[in-house]
Amino acid sequence: MSSDAVKKRKPKVIRSEAGAPETKRGRAEGDQVTYPAGPHLIGQRKLFTAKNQDVRVYNEEVELEVRDPQQDYMLYKDTCAALAKLMEEIQELKAGGAKVQSVEIEERRTQCSVHFITLKKLNRLAHMRLKKGRDQTHEAKQRVDVLHLQLQNLLYEVMHLQKEIGKCLEFRSQHEEIELVSEEEFFQEAPAEISRPHVTRDDQHQLTLARLDWELEQRKRLAEQYKMSLARKEKIQKAIEQKREYLSSLQPGLQNIMQASLPVQEYLAIPFEHMQKQAEVARHLPPPLYVLLVQAGAYGQACDKNLSVSISGDVDEAKALSRPPEDSQGTSVGATEHSQTLIFFSSVQLDDKRKEMLRRHPLSLCVDLKCKDGSVLHLFFYYLMNLNILTVKTKVSTTTDLSGAVSAGELLNSESLLNCLYASDHGKETPNPANRYQFDKVGITTFGDYVSDLGHPFVWVQKLGGLQFSSGGAQSGLTGSALSASHMERTMKLLRGRLQARLALHKQFSSLEHSIIPVSSECQHLFPAKVVSGLVRWTTMSCQEFTELGFVQHVLKAGLVHETDLFFMATVERGTARLRAAVVMNPRYPDVAPLFSLSLHWKGERSGRTDDNLQAMESEVNVFRSELQGPRPGLQLLTNQIQRLCVCLDVYLETESQVCDGSEGPKEFPREKMCLRTARGPSRLKPFKYNHPQGFFSHR
Amino acid sequence: LMACSSVLLTFKHLLKLLHMSVFSQSFSPCGRFLAAGNNYGEIAVFSLSAALSPDASEASQKPILNFTAHDGPVFSLLSTDTHLLSAGNGEISAWSWAETSLEIPEINAMIINPKDNSLIVGGGDNNIHIMDMETGIFKSVLKGHTDYIHCLCFKEREEEILSGGEDGAVRIWDARTNRPVHCIEVFKYEECARPQFGKWISCLATDSDWMLCGGGPSLSLWHLRSMSPTSVFPLPGCQREAVFYQDLIMSVGEGPHVSHCLHGGTVKAQIPCTPSSLNTLALNLKNSEHRVMTVGGSSHQIDVFTNFSYRAFSLSF
Repeated sequence: MSSDAVKKRKPKVIRSEAGAPETKRGRAEGDQVTYPAGPHLIGQRKLFTAKNQDVRVYNEEVELEVRDPQQDYMLYKDTCAALAKLMEEIQELKAGGAKVQSVEIEERRTQCSVHFITLKKLNRLAHMRLKKGRDQTHEAKQRVDVLHLQLQNLLYEVMHLQKEIGKCLEFRSQHEEIELVSEEEFFQEAPAEISRPHVTRDDQHQLTLARLDWELEQRKRLAEQYKMSLARKEKIQKAIEQKREYLSSLQPGLQNIMQASLPVQEYLAIPFEHMQKQAEVARHLPPPLYVLLVQAGAYGQACDKNLSVSISGDVDEAKALSRPPEDSQGTSVGATEHSQTLIFFSSVQLDDKRKEMLRRHPLSLCVDLKCKDGSVLHLFFYYLMNLNILTVKTKVSTTTDLSGAVSAGELLNSESLLNCLYASDHGKETPNPANRYQFDKVGITTFGDYVSDLGHPFVWVQKLGGLQFSSGGAQSGLTGSALSASHMERTMKLLRGRLQARLALHKQFSSLEHSIIPVSSECQHLFPAKVVSGLVRWTTMSCQEFTELGFVQHVLKAGLVHETDLFFMATVERGTARLRAAVVMNPRYPDVAPLFSLSLHWKGERSGRTDDNLQAMESEVNVFRSELQGPRPGLQLLTNQIQRLCVCLDVYLETESQVCDGSEGPKEFPREKMCLRTARGPSRLKPFKYNHPQGFFSHR
Repeated sequence: LMACSSVLLTFKHLLKLLHMSVFSQSFSPCGRFLAAGNNYGEIAVFSLSAALSPDASEASQKPILNFTAHDGPVFSLLSTDTHLLSAGNGEISAWSWAETSLEIPEINAMIINPKDNSLIVGGGDNNIHIMDMETGIFKSVLKGHTDYIHCLCFKEREEEILSGGEDGAVRIWDARTNRPVHCIEVFKYEECARPQFGKWISCLATDSDWMLCGGGPSLSLWHLRSMSPTSVFPLPGCQREAVFYQDLIMSVGEGPHVSHCLHGGTVKAQIPCTPSSLNTLALNLKNSEHRVMTVGGSSHQIDVFTNFSYRAFSLSF
């Protein structure tokens, strides 16, 4: 209760505890709060002192400074001990049965209350001391804080300054990158107001400034010059443009002049422009074709007016080929390592590789040989780039229609027209031995399969292009143009001869098929006026059919028949006698004579093997054929041979009945030919040789 | 160019070989060489010793010498002791088994009369001419045949010349008096005659009293004393040459075989040969080392028989 009373009294007593809430507030607000907290309280205190001056002010704060904390502590202890002792006494008394209201207890109670009050005061004092201590500490702390802050600020500033200094020291001014002229030069060149030597010689900074100034000057000047030069360049450019336009405007005019001059060129026979154009294209030809072009053109100009050469094909493709070489050889070389793995490649890939290997150069040459009768032999030459060979395709164009003869089908066939132009030059295989290895890589077994597509690779074609391959027999030391030139004339003559021979044969065949043997007037002297035996059939045969005939085996055995030959069958009849003649014609007719084998069907079957006279007839046409050549170039050989056969058959049949005496009855063939003797020599041969102009037959 | 022309040459050569017939043969006096004549007028000389030697090669079956003797075919060849006589169209050349030639006029047959050293020539002019070998002058002409003379042979003992001709007659002449003694027209005898072939006589051979003749008529053996045919040989073709050898008769003609016949009239054997028909048969009896029979005909090959029963090899032009 007394404590309650004390508590109640608190608000009324104004103490200097006003300091406590102040400091509390101060502390709560942090370090930087300084003193002036609660001025109203201080004011209030002061007010109170002012009002109650004569009232005894209980200022504990002042008291605080007087009292000694240790003493207070001892006091506290004593008080607590006294209190404890009183409590004990009370306790004893209460235990002894005294009443609550007794005087001792009351006394003690009062003493306890007084002790409590002392304790309370001590508590207050302790609090006040604490507060004071705290305040002091706080103050000190504040001061320390302020100083610390200052220190921090200064340190920070120092650091900042150091950084700045560092930056300044590191600063690379752009001016150092500018290449300035050297000092001596500078002093020499710069005008005085800029260089200011009196200043700059001493002061580096000034010197640098001056130099920079000078640099700037110079640059400005140069910039000026540059602008001027630019302007001048523009002007000149414009002038050039103008001139160019003027020139290009001339171009159409020149073209017109060129066009107009063409008739003049033709008139004067100088195909200048044409030749120029050709030369232009010719630059893109592959070397062998170029050699061929040059040589053929030269030959045509010099010796043969009826030969003309031209280039055909795609020039742009050719240009594309000649640009940075995509190594088309490389694809065929690096295609596969092992030929066996080819089997497992897809067929499409193989096809492509084959196509690549067999690729033709886009440009080709066309050589035209004109003959007197107007027919033309067109030769198209191609170059196979990867195989390095030339091939040729032919075409014949004639002025008249040549559809008459059935048996002549093969004569002008472009596949076989140029067969064996030179002996055994078939044109079925490639003459370049290196191609064998290339073919193995892509699985081409023989070039013959592609010949109809790509043309024939004859050896003479290679020679005309200046290509010499080592597989041939006789080797000349020539290559290139010399080789081509050495073969040109002969080959051209052979080509012409071949065409003419074939055309002549064509005409002759159509006549033979009508059972007329065309004998020209120059050859009439070879035969008697009256020939009774006549040709009834003229057909063509295949090689197979020929080899199956019985009466030609001796020719086959002698190796005189080749696959490239043409085979025919002529049938001559007179009365009941029928003579069959199997003809083997070499493609090189008429340089190589056709070979006849005879079989006579008359009173039995006889052939040249069984009958000496038939053998003699065979030798009449085969061996003594030089008489039958006729006028050059000997194109009438075949027809003359057939005519002679008819004449010989006449003689044979007419003299046969003469020789075989004793048979009664009319002779089938009366003797009309004049013969001196019908038999001669051990084999009793008949007289097959016709003598002109006497007109009789004799023996050789 | 060179290759072309050489190809042409061999082609021509091949053509010639195809159409070649060998008409005549003759052995050299020493018996070591064989000369053969063909229808192109060429004479080829083969070395028998080379061809028959054990190490003979193909080359040894080719001629050692080959020359063109005449324009026309060489139908007959005859060897004397020193010379080879060849006959072409109307000319006779004599070649020394060393070398020379002289020229005279168509001759199918030549024989020698050793008694008076004369050359008897039968030819295309239907006459038989007799020439003295030493002087080279024609002594006499035997006329009688009506067609050209195919063959001649000489009977030494009686000194008689036998001639067979196209007219089918075999005439016998006395060489001393140059007079005709007999004339046999073979085709008139029924046993021999073969009218389907003709009447000409193309082969003659004598062996003392016996005579062989054949051609159009069948080959027949005649006894000259009785002037009659004793055996007729049933050979299918026309015979062109026949000889007596020991007790055999060998004949060649149409057909690719040599026929061995016996005097009785039977055909003992027919030995096949390369040519399809044969013109000439020759026996080399002079030299015992190179005893061969050679035949030639319508082929460029001459067959050589070392053992007469079969063909050994062939020589080729």
